[in-house]
Amino acid sequence: MLELSRVTKAYAGIPAIDAVDLTIRDDEYLTLLGPSGSGKSTLLRLIAGLDMADSGRISLDGDDITFRPTHLRNLGFVQQSYGLFPHMNVFDNVAFGLRYREIDPVTDDSEVTRRVRSILDLVGLGDLGGRMVGQLSGGQKQRVSLARTLVTEPKVCLLDEPLGALDANLRERMTVELRKIRETLGVTFMHVTGNEAEALAMGDRMIVLDRGRLLQVSDPDSVFRAPRNVGVARFVNAYNILEGEVSDGSFRYRDLRFPAHGAPSGRASYAIRHDAAEIHTDTAPPESHASLPATFVASEFLGSRFFYFLRLPDGTIFDVERHLSREDPRRIEAGTACTVSWDPASALVFDAQGARLGDDTLKGAA
Amino acid sequence: MADSTADMAAGTAHAARDGRGFLARHGNYLLLVPGVIWMILFLVVPLGMMVYVSFWTQTTFSISSDLTLQSWITFFSSDTYFGALLRTLKIWLYVLVLTFVIGYPTALFIGQVVRNKTVQTVLLVTCVIPFWTSFLIRVLAWRPMLGVEGAINILLQKFGLIAEPIEVLLFTELSVVIGMVQIYVVFMVGPIAFMLARIDESLIEAARDLGASTWTIFRKIIFPLSLPGVVVGAIFVSVMVLGEFATASALSGRKVNLLGNIIVTQVGSLKWAFAAVIGVILTVIMAVVITGLLRIVNLRRAL
Amino acid sequence: MQSNNLLRTILGAYTGLFILFLYGPFIVMGILSFQAGPEGGPQFPIIEWSTYWYQHVFGLTPPSRVAPLPIGEALLRSLTLAFATMVVSTVLGTLTAQGFRRNFRGSGFVFYLVVLGMMVPGVLLGLGMALVADQVGIDRTWWGTAFVLHVVYTFPFAFLVMLAIFNRFDKSVEEAAWALGVPPGRTFRKVTFPMIFPGVLSAMLFAFTLSYDEFPRTLFTAGSDVTMPIAIYGTFAVEIHPNIFAFGVLTTLFSFALLSVYGVLMTLSVRRAKTAAVQEEIA
Repeated sequence: MLELSRVTKAYAGIPAIDAVDLTIRDDEYLTLLGPSGSGKSTLLRLIAGLDMADSGRISLDGDDITFRPTHLRNLGFVQQSYGLFPHMNVFDNVAFGLRYREIDPVTDDSEVTRRVRSILDLVGLGDLGGRMVGQLSGGQKQRVSLARTLVTEPKVCLLDEPLGALDANLRERMTVELRKIRETLGVTFMHVTGNEAEALAMGDRMIVLDRGRLLQVSDPDSVFRAPRNVGVARFVNAYNILEGEVSDGSFRYRDLRFPAHGAPSGRASYAIRHDAAEIHTDTAPPESHASLPATFVASEFLGSRFFYFLRLPDGTIFDVERHLSREDPRRIEAGTACTVSWDPASALVFDAQGARLGDDTLKGAA
Repeated sequence: MADSTADMAAGTAHAARDGRGFLARHGNYLLLVPGVIWMILFLVVPLGMMVYVSFWTQTTFSISSDLTLQSWITFFSSDTYFGALLRTLKIWLYVLVLTFVIGYPTALFIGQVVRNKTVQTVLLVTCVIPFWTSFLIRVLAWRPMLGVEGAINILLQKFGLIAEPIEVLLFTELSVVIGMVQIYVVFMVGPIAFMLARIDESLIEAARDLGASTWTIFRKIIFPLSLPGVVVGAIFVSVMVLGEFATASALSGRKVNLLGNIIVTQVGSLKWAFAAVIGVILTVIMAVVITGLLRIVNLRRAL
Repeated sequence: MQSNNLLRTILGAYTGLFILFLYGPFIVMGILSFQAGPEGGPQFPIIEWSTYWYQHVFGLTPPSRVAPLPIGEALLRSLTLAFATMVVSTVLGTLTAQGFRRNFRGSGFVFYLVVLGMMVPGVLLGLGMALVADQVGIDRTWWGTAFVLHVVYTFPFAFLVMLAIFNRFDKSVEEAAWALGVPPGRTFRKVTFPMIFPGVLSAMLFAFTLSYDEFPRTLFTAGSDVTMPIAIYGTFAVEIHPNIFAFGVLTTLFSFALLSVYGVLMTLSVRRAKTAAVQEEIA
């Protein structure tokens, strides 16, 4: 178990990581989502010991490792740029840690060979041991980098945007394989990414980071369905967010009012999930729905889903996502005036500080 | 913070800065220690010693550490020595200007006309090859070039350009300047060519499209952008020429005494304090020249 | 455009003349080294073509009024000194450049302190060192006082070369090794050093050449056992003979040999990776 408490790091006075508390459990797949500049790489480097925290404490299985040098931490680190040793072949790259590490190096050559072979087989590179790394494709480099780390049996394996440099096809395949490899070895993965779909799909648990602070730590489903913060709702990229004000228990957006029961008055954000909205061109929206006038802009077909883009009177783009399993795609002329509607009970309201109203997890915390 | 959950461990304890933490933060300095110590012991201390000794009392046969300004007074009151100072400055200026004037067109050719990296490298290496011969031998090689029966006079007479051999070529200030220019001009060409080669070609094309003449382009774009190279070259040349003495003693027949030559003579006759005075004066000149040159361009930003 | 091409041609022709200016004395020296001896002087015309002065350099001619160049031991000293200087300044340069890979307080001061070593005119440094040696009461020797100054002079060059190399070095490779549990020292030996080796070779070449030809710093600090450049300087005082030219031609050839060795090593170190790859493929 890896624990961070009040870990803080600033560069030139600008905080990159701000009093972060986090527990990373054994044998889990943890994803860390954050926009670029959110401090996600910094957090990873602090855990790996490649940068030192200004204050706070990092401990691994109860040992304080805050200032322990990287090579004594027994944490794996897979970089986005792979960091392969260009002057060695694949086998020597993978064997490097076993042979030369400070703690418990493997001196028996046949043992090194056995372990390297088996890990190369696991990542599907069994027959490439003799290749120089310069002759590998991007996906193969990625696997070498992973194998090189996993063969040393780290307690936690940190992956910095591991799929970032791969093309879409390969990315999809690696997504499945990463999970499989992790489960085979039972090692904890902490996977950093800027891609919300990746973070939601891969993690057993998911962390959302913004401006050096953790916005939410929970299972991906909760992050997706119940973002605890308007920032999280933005990062998961599945909500239309309207800015307005709450008064008398309703949310006021321009001259419209949507029910927002129990919300305190003041500035607020109102989020409607892409797939919770419906488009009406000639029919009136259901009585119970809240609705907005909009102009149709375009549609996009994504396999099993359809995306419709509409423009609100103030120019904001409003996304509507419909699944083909539920209804047929609709053909709407660009420029058509229509109405978007949604069940107000499905909408989320965030207060001026960005916290979601009615979030049960809030109670008892803080 | 409001958004801490059960997953997040509470805790405010600041980790202690233990010894390993110190090493991880400051181990870097250990790498610098050997180099810094070496430079302090063998660079700063000798230079400091030179300044110190320049105030010692020098008698004909011995030197004592009683502090005095005597050596300084002697220097500035002697026509010979003060003359050497002026001569050094004069020759330095000649060489500086000539290396620039002679070197710039070559650098322009290498850096701007030739846009092929391989050809540029070949040309630069060609310029550097003479450096593989001992500096002193290269200086000596000017003697059969410049002498009354030297190669230049023979060639000029063969082509009927002159009737009598030119005597002023060797064992004069001129020969010293010629020798120095040839030896040091490459230090001017290199940095300038480097800066010129870095100029983005599209910049020049854009200017040409806007109707700028070749001369305007040179004046407004090429030359300003090559200026950091000129400054670096000028620093190289100045540093080497101001401390020179070998070229002067080889090509002037000991008639041209520079400050460097005087230092050598004084050390030869164990007049340490006096040699030190000249050393300090040279250092001051050098510092002024380099600071002045660095004022022209902000090198850190330009490079 | 017409005028531009003309300008290019003029600049090209000028550059040709410029190179001739650089090589002129060199060519004349080469020609005169084949002057007849021992009566022929270091000037034109050539009395008779001969290799007399080359034999003279190696002491193969009968004794004459021209004393042999005192080169044997001096050459050996110069080579030893250049080698030691090369090793020490490359090590110092690499260490210091490695230290500069992290930002640290006082980096500006250290940078200028090191670079000062190549900026201070040699004669001043030689003088200062001689003064210190005189005061401290140590003998001035080529392997002591001269050696430390050679390092002061060449260390900055090695430092700058290595700084440029490290600027282009991908740090993630080292971080990967640390994260694999390999301590920094071992990482440097097994990963960093093999990768920066071509740069180290350049730094070594720089240091060796500069030290081998170093003269003003050595003049006051070498003591009675002189190095090669000091021996040549000694011939300034008396009449010069073509034997010095013959020697110049020989040292140039020697330099070229050294440069070739460097070139071969560079090519090999670049090619080794490829060859290894091919061999693995075959196996």
